[in-house]
Amino acid sequence: MDEDFHELEAELGRLRPANPTRELLQRIERGLEPRGRGWLWAAIPAACAILLIAAFGIRRAARPAAGAREPPPSPALRPVAVRDVLVGSRDEGYVLLADGWPARRVREAHLDTIVWKDPRSASSLQWSLPREEIRIVPVAFE
Amino acid sequence: MEEISENESWNNWFRRHGPKLLFCARQWTASMADAEDVVQDAFVRFWRRQRGLSGEPLALLLTSVRRAGLDVWRRRVRRVAREAGALGDDPAPLFEPLPEGDDRRMAIEAALRRLPPEQREVLALKVWGGLTFAEIAGQLGIPPNTAASRYRYALAALRRELTVADCHG
Repeated sequence: MDEDFHELEAELGRLRPANPTRELLQRIERGLEPRGRGWLWAAIPAACAILLIAAFGIRRAARPAAGAREPPPSPALRPVAVRDVLVGSRDEGYVLLADGWPARRVREAHLDTIVWKDPRSASSLQWSLPREEIRIVPVAFE
Repeated sequence: MEEISENESWNNWFRRHGPKLLFCARQWTASMADAEDVVQDAFVRFWRRQRGLSGEPLALLLTSVRRAGLDVWRRRVRRVAREAGALGDDPAPLFEPLPEGDDRRMAIEAALRRLPPEQREVLALKVWGGLTFAEIAGQLGIPPNTAASRYRYALAALRRELTVADCHG
């Protein structure tokens, strides 16, 4: 980068972004707590279809070319994009948390899509998977 | 950037990278509260389902965060706020206090908040997100040269602002 900016870049680099609040850490912790499984209705067929496609693709990629002495290099697919589309949500009303505080339970339907690309061959693979998420949102009284 | 080991706890990983993630999220949201919502959703989803993927975890997370941030923005139709710059009305500090005094940090924050959003997001992703220009270009859907130009414009504008601030004490 421009020689003139080195000092400014170094100064900016010394600044440490503000730490997340304790509340955010607690929310993430709650979000990562084990929860019940749902949603098999659409996930299983979709996952099976994806696995079949992926397995077929991997086999084709791994098949040696006619006359080749060395096996071809393994596909170098790397994830390049992750998309999450909220398909719908349903408020299931209030529940009581373990500590006695009320919270709202919201059931959301998402469609996750991950795109892999192999920069060497420009091939890409897209994987979409429906997902159900149950969110517990603490209620704050003001 | 590092990959995530099997035994890594979310807490340790987030302690190291959470501030950067939140900082970048604030480039694309109108408030700290929105940025926290977006980071929470993206991180929980990532840790549950995507952390086993090969690739750069922070870059993947930044993609999710940016997309979610822009979705939130669209939902709230904050066009006016966006044109003024996402950080314009957000009073929460962007950086941890500096041990040698806070005047300089506050001057830099003020200058950052006045940068055009498209320059500021490139600067944030480069300096605090640790991404290369090629990665930034991928994130933002722009050519790498454009990312590099925006970065240089941002630095030049910052230096101008800070020089003026120094002159006025």
